[in-house]
Amino acid sequence: MTTTAYSSSEHNMPRPNIPKAGLQLPAVKDYEQVDREILATLHPTKGWFALLAIAIVCLMIGGTAWAYQIHEGLGVAGYTPPVMWGVYIVTFVFWIGIGHAGTLISAILYLFRAGFRTTIYRCAEAMTVFAVMTAGLFPILHLGRPWKFFWLIPYPNWRLIWPQFKSPLVWDVFAISTYLTISTTFLFIGLIPDIATLRDAEKNPIKKSIFSMLSFGWRNSEAEWRHFARAYLFLAAFSTPLVLSVHSVVSFDFAMALVPGWHTTIFAPYFVAGAIYSGMGMVFTIIIPIRKFFKLQHYVTLNHLDAGAKLCLFTSLVVGCAYLVEFFIGWYGSSNVEHAYWWNRVFGQWWWAAWIMLTCNCILPLSLFSQKLRRNPTWLWSLSLFISLGMWFERFVIIVPGLSHEFEPWQWNNYIPTFVDYSILIGSFGWFFMWFLLFIRQLPVLALSEIKEIVPPRLKRVHHHPPEPPGDFEADTPGEFA
Amino acid sequence: MNQGMLGAFKELDATVDAIEALKKERVGEITVYTPTPRHEIEHAVHPPASPVRKFTLIGGLFGACAGYWIAIWCSEYWPLVVGGKAISTWIPYTVFSFELMVLIGGLSTVAGLFINARIPRLTMTVGYDGRFSHGDFGVWVQCAPEKLKEAEAILRRCGAVEVRGAS
Repeated sequence: MTTTAYSSSEHNMPRPNIPKAGLQLPAVKDYEQVDREILATLHPTKGWFALLAIAIVCLMIGGTAWAYQIHEGLGVAGYTPPVMWGVYIVTFVFWIGIGHAGTLISAILYLFRAGFRTTIYRCAEAMTVFAVMTAGLFPILHLGRPWKFFWLIPYPNWRLIWPQFKSPLVWDVFAISTYLTISTTFLFIGLIPDIATLRDAEKNPIKKSIFSMLSFGWRNSEAEWRHFARAYLFLAAFSTPLVLSVHSVVSFDFAMALVPGWHTTIFAPYFVAGAIYSGMGMVFTIIIPIRKFFKLQHYVTLNHLDAGAKLCLFTSLVVGCAYLVEFFIGWYGSSNVEHAYWWNRVFGQWWWAAWIMLTCNCILPLSLFSQKLRRNPTWLWSLSLFISLGMWFERFVIIVPGLSHEFEPWQWNNYIPTFVDYSILIGSFGWFFMWFLLFIRQLPVLALSEIKEIVPPRLKRVHHHPPEPPGDFEADTPGEFA
Repeated sequence: MNQGMLGAFKELDATVDAIEALKKERVGEITVYTPTPRHEIEHAVHPPASPVRKFTLIGGLFGACAGYWIAIWCSEYWPLVVGGKAISTWIPYTVFSFELMVLIGGLSTVAGLFINARIPRLTMTVGYDGRFSHGDFGVWVQCAPEKLKEAEAILRRCGAVEVRGAS
């Protein structure tokens, strides 16, 4: 990779591959173009209706399975002692992990001034909110009598259920509810100026009044922007440690327990890195079709995908390193129980799940060392599906083998998920994508005001700056799917 | 007094010129509308620092204390007695302190934004135009009736594409 100084002879060439922090959008000329092209994504298409219908069908499959489970009892979900945490908790942790990349991209990369976040952060933030909403369903789904879910909430009460504030499960309730609240707030605050743009562009009086209410009468005044920028900065500063703490707290649900393979100090950083990795995978799963079908390749450019892929590669290496350390301690440590658990997980009863995890999370992402593949949307999208698969199996490999192979041989057992588990898993994807599809139909999928910040404003006077970069962007390879 | 003159600009540097000229002549109180925050405008307006940070600090400190308080109070009121273990202990309770610091600090930051930016606003203030969220810049000068002509002349001289009075 080289940095190139532009010269006049290079002006007609496509922009060279220079992924860097200060990413520009050479094919976006003015503010009006930003509004025109991004607001065009709000018009429904047949493809959008078809995808929404698929998502609703998936949700109905999950809902039907849940109704069946409520009627028959939790026994239909494949739980056999001692494995009383299975697909539901695996999927809970999976969705919490997915929710991490959104705040990472919108908050941490904002503080680090990473330019590539600008065009993808709105999608990632929305993804975060909907993923945490999805995750929040699973503790309820795991109840035999879900209508009593509020008994789980650790507030002082006279029901003789005393909150145990030293329990990681209580920490988890606080951590996840805080995360959902702050993520939703962060998303909505960022949307206010864009909703004001929608309000001003809208002709339909009913929609206009709805947008007027949602924009709180925002006027784009300099004073409003000044307070907005300050508030946004502080929200980002709060969200940054929150990202790291939430999945650490989720990892404590396991690490504080005396179960072989769980009781380890590496879990917090291991979970955080895995969460960012899986979240980046889901960002690719969503953003690559969006840029394709809404023709936004000149906003979400190959440089943006390249930079995101590097983050994905880095977190994959961290996760791979954590696996190796975990395996090494199991093999080299003095505990026979840990050794037996490790062997059972990697080469015994659960070898197939462990090797799906290792292949998807450690081997396939190594392809991202190739710049050519990092800039290939089809490959990135395909890889993102493997990342989601691998990260779901990572949580499966953590939770199920630990419970199925505890200290004494009489505790050893098997776990086979039933159609109820699979249906509810499918239903969770339906729930998530239903909300996401509704979101992209109603609100701008890319942040209008932040994109305008990186578009050069119109000037009256000619300014003698160094030569402008050529007004073109590198197109995707012709014939690619995505 | 809501009487004033509004200038709409296509170019950023023309807007900055108008702000500087209006400030120099002390025509009246200036409100600038911009579709996206621009540091050039901020330099020209030269506003005081935003007080939102005070809301953040107070909210964060309150949340941190509230987190410890709720955990300690509950533990003392409904004690779970385990031999040799303290009923209240600060290490696990730091989790609650941290989470409530973020939660209340974040929400008070939003409250600070709303209070200082004076939103929600039920009606659009006189002088706002829908194009200012789209691509144009606007300068609204609120001034005495005898200064309106001067404000109009400055706005036109600096390159406003449209100038209109409003009250």
